[in-house]
Order: sequence, then structure tokens, then C-alpha cells
Amino acid sequence: MAAVSATSIRFGSTFRTASWSSNQTGGRISNVKLVSMGISKRILPSLRSPHFHICCAAKPETVEKVCEVVKKQLALKDEIVLTPDSKFSALGADSLDTVEIVMGLEEQFGITVEEDNSQNITTIQEAADLIEKLVQQKAEA
Amino acid sequence: MLPLHSNSLARRPFASPLPLPPASLPSPRETHIWYVVPDELKDASLLYQYMELLSPCERQSVLRMNGERLQKGALLARALVRTTLARYTDGRLSPKSFKFQKNRFGKPEVEWDKYDLWAPPPLQFNISHTSTMIACGVTLDLPIGIDIEEKQRKTSNNILSLAHRYFSPVEVAYLKTLADPECRQSEFIRLWTLKEAYVKALGRGFSGTPFKDFTIRLEASNSKQVTGELKSDAPSIVVEAVDDPGILMNRWQFALFELNNSHYTAVCMERDVKNPADGENNSLKLEVWRTLPFVEDECVTETDAVKNIIR
Repeated sequence: MAAVSATSIRFGSTFRTASWSSNQTGGRISNVKLVSMGISKRILPSLRSPHFHICCAAKPETVEKVCEVVKKQLALKDEIVLTPDSKFSALGADSLDTVEIVMGLEEQFGITVEEDNSQNITTIQEAADLIEKLVQQKAEA
Repeated sequence: MLPLHSNSLARRPFASPLPLPPASLPSPRETHIWYVVPDELKDASLLYQYMELLSPCERQSVLRMNGERLQKGALLARALVRTTLARYTDGRLSPKSFKFQKNRFGKPEVEWDKYDLWAPPPLQFNISHTSTMIACGVTLDLPIGIDIEEKQRKTSNNILSLAHRYFSPVEVAYLKTLADPECRQSEFIRLWTLKEAYVKALGRGFSGTPFKDFTIRLEASNSKQVTGELKSDAPSIVVEAVDDPGILMNRWQFALFELNNSHYTAVCMERDVKNPADGENNSLKLEVWRTLPFVEDECVTETDAVKNIIR
């Protein structure tokens, strides 16, 4: 049965966290919206769990490339372990870092990220998912 | 990695922190800025004292940061906000007692309790940090945004690529006039801090107020603004909507300066219309302190630590 990851978490929380410093809700996912994948809300389990993955989740190679871009932009030392669930805000990315990461990813993958799409990525996994979606759309165009 | 576990902190004995010296409230056109340099903190026991000030939620947020350096930064940021605000309550509120909420756009603000015999001052604040400095700006009842960036910050992408993507046409044109790459680099960073400070003052943050929709620039002296008031001689920083150029958004005033010789700092504050200046210069006033909470405070307003101020 298809399950959907919470990919529409408002980017607001990353920028907000980055810009406003730490927030009271900590890492709790807020403002979750459904990605319009033609899947009815009724049949989905709670979207607040981070453990559901979209049936076409990004390939490990994509995730790894995203990690590389992020590590380079944020000048992360090797001791920092990046996982797909790593949140940009927890890596100390501010809004300038985030736009640079987006531009770096665009360059790596040959895609263009619309501003409202870039609002929806707060973790490595979400970035990778979006990239693969855009790469696929470009191939189909 | 510092063992910053909540459980061990609750039971760890330490000397009570020295009381924070009280501070006078900001006046209507003033922004007070308190900043911390994380590298100045050498005493690990101070980190435990700071941790004690935080709410359980804040502690969890700190511990969720990836790595010791980021955890220390997040901890200092919360400690700075709490200790700074406490200074303005005349000893009545401890740093630990503050509660915070978010406005509808996600901007943190103080959630004041109701007291029978005392009205807490309507403080507004905003915070910004880099890995080498954390700054907190405070006003009395006026929306404020602050942003700091290291002067030496380099961008991975080409400046004009970034500008074309995220800045307004007027701002891009301005950056293009700067032939020297270093000059262009630093002007980009300064303009970025101004734009960040503005969206933070508005309360909607980067995602709520696209950078492309507004221009920040210097307005030449002796020109009339929409209100018909003559401006002072020095050029001033103004903001206008890209869709409505020439109509300056007078509500907002700015200051841009260098802090501690290391950071460009931008402050944006709402103009206080309840207390209009009588013919005198009504630009934004700054008071700045370098602090290591519970250890040392130093007023640096008239020193070399605050220079090259543009308003």
C-alpha cells in the first residue's frame, strides 16, 4: 500500500528556525500539508510520523550527492554524520546557506527549483525526493 | 562532546550565577543590542548554568543540533535571549521564567504572564547568529529584525548569479556597478543582512517575504519622502516595493554597521509614530553591549567595536 512521506512540510520552519534561532517546538513537524499525489487523505495514516516513505523515494546515490553538496556548503567536518533525516536547521544552515544549497543542487542535477517547491524541503531526504521528481519531469518534458 | 544531558544537569550542584545588572529600557527610537562571542567562553561550567535557564523544549532543541559546536551555539543563543530580556525587568523576572510563543508567521515573541501589581515592559526582540557571534536586539514595543554575517563570508555561487536569482532589479544593477570583486562581495553580504533584517522585522521571515519583491537602497539626502518631511543631510537606507517604486515604506528604519571588526550587522526597526521627533534627527539610535552572561558586560557603543554606521 502506498504511503506518503511528509514532503510538504513548510520550508517556513527551516527558514524560521534558521532565522529566528531555535524554536519552542524543537523538531516537531508542524504545518504538514498533503502532497497532491492523488492520494486521498482518508486512507493515510498519521502524517506526523516520519517513518512513512513515498513509494518512489529517492535513490541512495541521489541522497549521497545531496549530502555532498550540503557538507560542502556548510563546511561540515567529517565527524558530522549526515543521514537522510538530517534537518538543515540542525546543521546550522542559515537562509543564505539554504539558497546556496538549492543553487548547488540545481547545478549538480541540471534542474530548476521553483521558489514554492524550495519552501518544502527541510531534510536531506526531502531535497533528494524533490530533485528526483524534477529530474523525472524534465526527462518527460 | 560535552555531556549536556538534561538528567545530570538537574542534580549537578553549582554556585548560583551572579545577578544580572539591571538595564534601562530602550527609548522610543532605540535598539539595544547584546552580543556574545562564543569563543570567549572558556569555562565549561558556564554552559551548565546556561542550560539551567532553558525550558525543557529548548534543551531538547539544543541537543538535537548536530555536533558540539552547533549545540554550544544554540545554547548560547537561548541563554542570550533569556538573560538579555531579564535585564530589563528590574530584577523581577529571572531568565528562567520567560515563556515564548510564536506569532502567526512563526516569529518568536515573549509570552508575558499577568501580574497584579506590575506591568512588564512590552519588550520585543530578535536574534541572529553566526558560528562566531550571537546578537540579540531589543526594543520597547516596536517590531525589530537583526541580522549579522561574518565580513569574511564567501559565497559558493557567483555573486551576480545569486543576486539575479534573489535580489530586485535595482539591487542587481547596483551590484553590477561595482567592478572590484571584493567590493561586490562585501556589498552583497551587507545588502543580504539588510534584507534579512527587514523580513525578520516584518515577522514573516525569508519564506514569507520574497527578497525579490522589495528593494533596499540608499536614498539621497534632501529629498522629500511621501510624508512631505525633509530628510536630514546624510543619505539614508530605505525600502520600497518592486511593484511600487518611489513610494518608500517609511514605517521602517535601518542601521547598518560593523560589529567587533568581524561582522556586518543590520538592524531594521519600525518607526515609532506615537512619539514623533520634533525636528531633530529621528534616525535609529543604537546602544550596544558585548556580554558573557553572568561573567562580564561591556558597553561598546562609542567604541571601535561599533563602526561605519549607516542609517
